[in-house]
Amino acid sequence: MEVTFEGEEQDPDVRFVRGTGKYVDDIKLEGMLHLHVVRSPYARARVLSVSGGITGNELKATMESVGEDAGGKSAVSFPALSASYVNYVGQPVAAVLGLDRYDAADKAEEVDVQYEPLRPVIDPEKALASEPIHPGMENNLVAAAELGKEFEVKAPIEIEETLRMTRISPNPMETKGMVAVYDGSNLTVYASTQSPFSWREGLASSLGLKEESVRVVQMDTGGGFGSKGGIYPEYVVAAYAAMKTKRPVKWSETRYENILSTNMGRGVRGKMKVYADREGKLKGLKADILVDVGAYPLGGGGWTARWIASQLVGPYSVPRAYATAKAVLTNKVNMGPYRGAGRPEAAFFMERMMDRLADETGVDAAEVRLRNATSRRTTSPLGMEAPPSKQLFMKALRAFKYSSRKKKENVGLSFFMLIPAAYGGESAKLAVKGGRVKVWMGGSSHGQRHDVFAKSLVSEELGIPQDVIDFQHTDTRSISGGVGSWGSRTAILGGGAIVEASRSLKAAAKKKLGKKYSPARLLEGEYEAEAFFKPKDLLNTLGANMASARLTKEGNAVVDEVVSFYDAGKVLNPFMLESQITGGVAQGIGEIMYEQAIYSEDGQLLTASIADTGVIHATEMPKSVVMTAASRSTLPHGAKGVGESPTIGVPPAATRALEVLLGRRFTTLPIEPEKLWATDVAGVKEVRVR
Amino acid sequence: MIPPRFEYAAPKSVREAVDLLKSRGGEAKVLAGGQSLIPLLKLRLAAPSLLVDINRVTGLDYIRESGGFLRVGALTRVSTLNRSALLKKRYGALHDASLTIADPLVRNLGTVGGNLSHGDPSNDLPAVLLAAGGELAATGPSGDRSVRAEDFFVGTFTTALAQDEILTEARFPVPPPRSGGVYLKVEQKVADFATAGVAVQVSLDKKSEYARVGIGLTGVGPTALKATKAEAAMVGKRATDRKAAQEAGELAADASSPTTDIRGTEEYKRGLIRLLVTRGLERASQRARRGA
Repeated sequence: MEVTFEGEEQDPDVRFVRGTGKYVDDIKLEGMLHLHVVRSPYARARVLSVSGGITGNELKATMESVGEDAGGKSAVSFPALSASYVNYVGQPVAAVLGLDRYDAADKAEEVDVQYEPLRPVIDPEKALASEPIHPGMENNLVAAAELGKEFEVKAPIEIEETLRMTRISPNPMETKGMVAVYDGSNLTVYASTQSPFSWREGLASSLGLKEESVRVVQMDTGGGFGSKGGIYPEYVVAAYAAMKTKRPVKWSETRYENILSTNMGRGVRGKMKVYADREGKLKGLKADILVDVGAYPLGGGGWTARWIASQLVGPYSVPRAYATAKAVLTNKVNMGPYRGAGRPEAAFFMERMMDRLADETGVDAAEVRLRNATSRRTTSPLGMEAPPSKQLFMKALRAFKYSSRKKKENVGLSFFMLIPAAYGGESAKLAVKGGRVKVWMGGSSHGQRHDVFAKSLVSEELGIPQDVIDFQHTDTRSISGGVGSWGSRTAILGGGAIVEASRSLKAAAKKKLGKKYSPARLLEGEYEAEAFFKPKDLLNTLGANMASARLTKEGNAVVDEVVSFYDAGKVLNPFMLESQITGGVAQGIGEIMYEQAIYSEDGQLLTASIADTGVIHATEMPKSVVMTAASRSTLPHGAKGVGESPTIGVPPAATRALEVLLGRRFTTLPIEPEKLWATDVAGVKEVRVR
Repeated sequence: MIPPRFEYAAPKSVREAVDLLKSRGGEAKVLAGGQSLIPLLKLRLAAPSLLVDINRVTGLDYIRESGGFLRVGALTRVSTLNRSALLKKRYGALHDASLTIADPLVRNLGTVGGNLSHGDPSNDLPAVLLAAGGELAATGPSGDRSVRAEDFFVGTFTTALAQDEILTEARFPVPPPRSGGVYLKVEQKVADFATAGVAVQVSLDKKSEYARVGIGLTGVGPTALKATKAEAAMVGKRATDRKAAQEAGELAADASSPTTDIRGTEEYKRGLIRLLVTRGLERASQRARRGA
């Protein structure tokens, strides 16, 4: 029983527009059972008993942090099904199988779970003083780091601010899901994923299988934004159910389940203090970062606090910096990577301080940034390496027509550095047979259309037409290794691997054909080449955003336009780049004005429908203008990362535009709706900015 | 949608539908446009044993003026309201409100009867009916009756309709000349429920003073509310009296009882009522002077 893409429409333009994509939930196999997960209604409770279905007493599996989430050994083990304690609303406690989804949902109502509710820990700022949520731990602290050196400095300007980015739901268009098939010795999993190889590692480890006996095939995948880069309890349970019953098992969650049980992004507080002279030149930076990890530190909770702190200085130069970073447990679903994953938090915190600095010194917001930008490659006191930034930012300001626009419009700026997740590299494979070329990458498209750049790179390298190239879904059986698609990495690393594999394929063909070599002759033969690309150079790149804001006739503030100027290296495909950025602008605007996960004091998620999570419509979308700086990277194809740039750069720029328009200072995202009115609608206590 | 099991019936007449409701004594639910009921079934928050689908019942889809009322049949789709030239000309509040309900997909299916009889304090039409001083017609086992709008909205998700009654018609009094209505809604994003909404229906006399004022409030209480003190305070005031309109805003805000939720704080919602009532009076009287 195998699911293939043979005979399917290959062109994604046609496949998706016609609605003939092949997603996990489209899979129908003979004898397939449907899994329904029974979830905790409490944020924190002792499980007294569970009866009915598969329970944690039967399946004692726990989970390792893998893929984009990976952060070393966790202090707390995350059970696939909890038999003792539950720690967030939506945590799986049991699972049932049905002949169809209706049958499974009905059977789930027969599962009896007895709980003894406990008082949950919800507020991360109180979590350190609260009793530990996990038995056996001393407190709720799961990660702490100190970066740079403590310092004292005398400065005429000292500004302190506490800034917050509220948790948000990733909301990929396609919810999570998988189909597991077990033949008695091998487990095959069809997945909605950003990383088949991480799934293979995670499932094998949780179920005690050898990686060779687990195959993971990526289906068409409708978005992830970081939420599908690791594994979840439900995956382990569904795979186990297939092994137990020896029948195919499908698990496909509803939107409600997705919002309840998918790792959420952000949820970070930054206490910032900058020291500067009266001209706005930074003399020092201190910061304290607090990350709300949720119930288990497996989604990235182990590394996010330090990661944010390490990049606070951004593209600037500061003589001294000192940061502390903590991550704490709360009774909420796990925190996890969400488009930008730590980068937006660092940029928001720093860029808000640059605007404060402009206000305090009276120096223009662009000028204050330029005074702290660098003309050479630097390593910050917090350990992050940055390329020279001043020239690029000056170019951006010219492209924005900043000086003339700021005179007549309410504009905000942001400068930032994008650090792509280059660690681990990425793989690609090419196979020529029957006049066609198949291309795989170790981690590929979950909505980005990687096929577009993949085909153009292969076509350029081999001198063959694009219509003989077939881009393949990632399958752990078709390529010997791989990492995954996240962190602005795939075009640079997967693309680099495609170039390398193309070149070695061409070399092999040339060796075989000698002087008779031609692209047409190459296509007549049979060749295979695989490459694993690991760049050595610094791939950190820079970007800038400008946003403008205006009032509607009803007196509401809206962001009118967002202009992006990103150093994306050699642009592999301008249309795809613009599409990526446009989507990111939408998420950036959502994050500052609409999107948030709100929990009640007893840990119930109050924003549990897609409308309530705040995803924007086209009607809330500002005009988006995209520009790029043409500066090839040192990679073979000259590309640089760009996928996360808009979620990093847009929030601080757009927040500033609103701040300038309304004269109110904003420190927390999303901005409360009552503060977005020109008139004092609800007795808003204002902090006026200059 | 993965609802619990239910039986399904599709009667052809109101009488037949009422009989079906009566036979289940509260275990049956009427399915009209389904835009509120289906989400409840999807989340298994509702588990009726029988769905009585009234979409095949004829004669409940109309908009007409007769006997001193604008009569809107309960099965009239919200999108039909959107397109009605009569509403645009003479029933401004109803026309405005119909365009703010959810999105076009919902409006194509959602019905006037469903919007009113669901008893959701965040639905937009109840405030319009309250401002207009309208009434509702219902059919039950013992025949037809009418209920005044102010007696209809009893509590959150509770109306004066009995379990075996079906709402058949909403009635808006035909406004005299020099009347105007408006519905103002603040929503977080397009298609959202109201953070707060205000319907204002006014009639002016020859001196351009308010002869009748109706004010309905959305989303700021357990039901849609009628701001009676604010209404009374405006009668006899000049249509251009800004201060009076602001005072009416204060009175309406005092009469509201919003709660803090994901859409905003209690204080913010009260502030919106203040703003929207003041603006609503100004705009409704402008329409009245233009004759809309």
